[in-house]
This record gives sequence, structure tokens and C-alpha cells, in this order.
Amino acid sequence: MTDLFVPTTTDHDTGGFWEAARRHQIAVLYCASCDAVLHMPKQYCRRCGSFDTAWRDVRPQGSVYSWIVVERQIHPAYPAPYTIALIELDDAREARLIGHLPGRVDLQAGQAMIAGFEDHETYTLPVWRLASV
Amino acid sequence: MVVANNPHLNACAIVGIGATEFSRNSGRSELTLATEAAVAAAADAGVAVSDIDGMVRCDMDFVQHNALADALGLPNLSFWSDVGVGGGAPAAMVGQAVAAIMSGQASTVLVYRALNGRTGARYGQGDGQGAEGGGGGSYLEYFSPYGLNTPGQMWSMLARRHMVEFGTTSEHLAHIAMTCRENANANPLAQMHGRPMTMDDYLASPMLTDPLRLFDYCIETDGAVALIVTSLERARDLPQPPAVIRAVAQGVQAGMQPGIAFPSMMRASLTTMPSAPTAARLYARAGMTPADIDVAQFYDCFTMTALIQLEDYGFCAKGEGGPFAASGAIRRGGSIPINTAGGHLSEGYLHGVNHILEGVRQIRGTSTSQVEGAEVSLVTSGLPIATSAMILTKGVL
Repeated sequence: MTDLFVPTTTDHDTGGFWEAARRHQIAVLYCASCDAVLHMPKQYCRRCGSFDTAWRDVRPQGSVYSWIVVERQIHPAYPAPYTIALIELDDAREARLIGHLPGRVDLQAGQAMIAGFEDHETYTLPVWRLASV
Repeated sequence: MVVANNPHLNACAIVGIGATEFSRNSGRSELTLATEAAVAAAADAGVAVSDIDGMVRCDMDFVQHNALADALGLPNLSFWSDVGVGGGAPAAMVGQAVAAIMSGQASTVLVYRALNGRTGARYGQGDGQGAEGGGGGSYLEYFSPYGLNTPGQMWSMLARRHMVEFGTTSEHLAHIAMTCRENANANPLAQMHGRPMTMDDYLASPMLTDPLRLFDYCIETDGAVALIVTSLERARDLPQPPAVIRAVAQGVQAGMQPGIAFPSMMRASLTTMPSAPTAARLYARAGMTPADIDVAQFYDCFTMTALIQLEDYGFCAKGEGGPFAASGAIRRGGSIPINTAGGHLSEGYLHGVNHILEGVRQIRGTSTSQVEGAEVSLVTSGLPIATSAMILTKGVL
């Protein structure tokens, strides 16, 4: 079996997300001056003009914003069918993260999701599931 | 008509178009395809190949300017430019040609797109398929570890959100696919010529990324297209009726987001695209409204892409793209016939540039699904990152 995709965890702009995941936390980059959510992460706040940013842990919970069911396999390590959810974080609605659920899951917009964490050798991946399951 | 400050109004025209065969296996290099299309465009324009002194390339094209200039033997190339991102570029590529001509940097500009989209790099296979990656501004590390890899998967996510917000259905999307197929069946050069599609055919096509099926996806294609832009003054001395470039516009959305595609899913709305502000800018520069448009070529990498643009370009209200498509308005004889050569869905995917050729044919009166009396032709380019569009007219209106 081909290996899962291993994410880069040391990027200047996104490394903080992966450091937090290693601690089993979900982190979002904020502007330290005006509190704007800077997602996708970037080191300048277009709202107030500050370069002062900080990663902040948020609750590992959100809700389904949109979803698909992949029936046609593309990546050899990700067997179809599987469901991909686009998840709005409860504490930072401007930030959306991706969830992978095995099989065909009949989701609805607004359903509550919670994150767990899957430890791999070199990184930890946040993994989302329905809060009700 | 009232026209906003638009110095490029009616300054230039598209005077020549050329294309190779569209196929699933060209058996030739992209350089050869680009060369054939360029030679054909020059011949169609009635200009010598050696007159070409400017070139505009899509940033994703594997054929570099110097390679094509060398192949064509251009002694006087004095302007070249790259435009992106990818499928968002085509109308903006023509805009670059106009800018070069108006600023005196070139007089005869070749715009081209060549790709072995089926036998070479297949865009449908997407990003993040390697063993590791992301970073460097790609942001793929947020997406690829979850098996989110392809443009089709992303457009399915946008389609689902449109369904959630507005009740759009698969049957609505089917009408876009069937309209394109109907037009392809009138166009002998379209890849899907001779293969009619019914609603049952559409609904029976394999679900690839629920809610989108195989027939919601465009056709990866091998081929090349090219066109020649020059000043309207010079165009009047050339053999073809000029497709006058009334207005070109590029545009982005607030919070446009980085990357090639997936970060676009972070924007506040997934159902309004950069095409909305681009449309407003385009209409202002043209001094026109949607009611003035006789025929439109909407970028249709997926059915949903075209549906959103029906709304964003003002042919129906936001959220009503589905019922509007199903009403027959987008078919030949409807209020706004679209994708009259078959579109990316059924003619072939030349990354938006084949839509410009068809927009020109409508002005010339030579389309295989000609809109009778067409004088105003809209051509749009790709989504979701940033986009461009233009309006062509028959003569100066």
C-alpha cells in the first residue's frame, strides 16, 4: 500500500498548526493587535496592518459547512468511497478545516464535529468525526 | 451608451483564430500543437507569421515564448507576457495584448494555449498525490493529508454548498451538461460530436465526487488554440470581419486567498465568485448590461462553474442559476445561449482559450450553433481564484 501523504510541518507560515497538533490541540493564527483570524495563515493583518501574529489554541470542535463523497479513487493510499467535510471552527468561523471520514457518510450542513488526533512518526494529524457518533 | 472611463474601448480587435484537432491523444508535442495553431491563426488573419511581434502565454503552458518564437522563426518579437492563474487567464491574456498594442510595445500579438491535457499532465488528477509536500505558500498541507486532491473534488464542495443554500439539484446541473452536449452535436470538431445526452444519460453517468458526476466534469483534451490581436485601425485592412474588443476586465474577491484552488474554500461565500466583481467592472467599461449580451461562452471546467456565472454575470438572481438553466434560457433560441461550440464539457478543455475562438465565431456569424444576429459576445475565464472576462462586438456599436 502506498503511504499516506505526509504534510510539511515546518513551513514559516503554517508550522504553528502542526506544533499544536503534536500537542493534540487545534491552533489558529490570529493578529495579536486586532484579533482578526488570519486563515489561511499569513504573517500580516490586512485589517489593521500589523505584522504581530500569534497562534492560539481553540476548542477542537466545529460544524459541517459543506461535504462531498469521493467515489472515484485518485490517491492510492486513500481508498474510495470516503467522505470529505469542510468544517467551520466554532471559535473561529473564518477558519475552515478539512475532515476525512471513511465510507459514505450522510452529512448535513451544521452538524457538530469534533477533532481527535492521530499520531504518526513525524507528525500528528487532526482527524474529525461527527460529535453525535 | 454610457461608458465609464475606458481608454481601451474599441481600440483593438481579434482578427485571426486557429486551432488544431481536439483529441484524446495528439501524438505530438505541445510545441508542435502551439505552432500549428499559431500558423493557422496568422493565415486566418491574413498576416504573415513574421509580422507577429508580441506573444501572450498562460502561466501554466509548457510552451515558453522563446520556444514558440523560435519554432515560428519570428525575427521581430518585441513583447511577451505571462498571465495566470491558469484558467483564469484567457480574457486577461487578450487584455495584455491590448495593453501592449495601445502602449506601442507590439502591433500584432499572438495569444496561445497548448496542452496535452489528456496524454500529458492531467489537471483532473490534481495536487498532493506525492508521498509528502505542502508548504511554500501552497497550503496543501491543510488539504492533501485528507485525500482532497483534485479540482473536481473542490468544485463538488462548492456545488454542495450551492445546493444547501439555494436548493440547487443534480437535474439543474444536468441542463448545463445537456446544453453543451447539444451544441457539441452541431459542431463536428467537438470531442463529443455524435454522442447525444439525455437527462437519463446524465443521471446514469458515474458519480465521481458526490454531488458531481462524470458528465459534470469537462473533457481533458490534447490540442492547441491561438488568436491574433491587433489595432482596430489595422483590423479594417484585414480580410476577416474584426471581433472588436469592447472591454476586458480582471477581478478578484475580497479575501481572495492564496494557492492554486483549495484555499478558495476559506472565503466567506462559496457561492459567489470573483466573477461577480469582474462582471460589474466589465459591464461598466463596456457601458452595457446583461440585457445587451446576445451570446456567452462561460468557462465550464464543471457544470457548477457555469451555473455560478449565470448568477454572477447577472443573467439571473443569486441562487436561481439552477432553475434558470433548466428553463431553456441557455439553449440556442433562449435568452442567453451559452457555450455554443460545446464548451469545456463537450467541445474540449483548452483551458478557456477555445471559448475566445467561439466568441469570435459568433461575431463573424460562423458558429455551428450561430445565434442569429449576434452582435455582442461575452467570454469568461476560469474560477475560483481570480478571473477575467471580455465583451466582443460586431463592428463598433
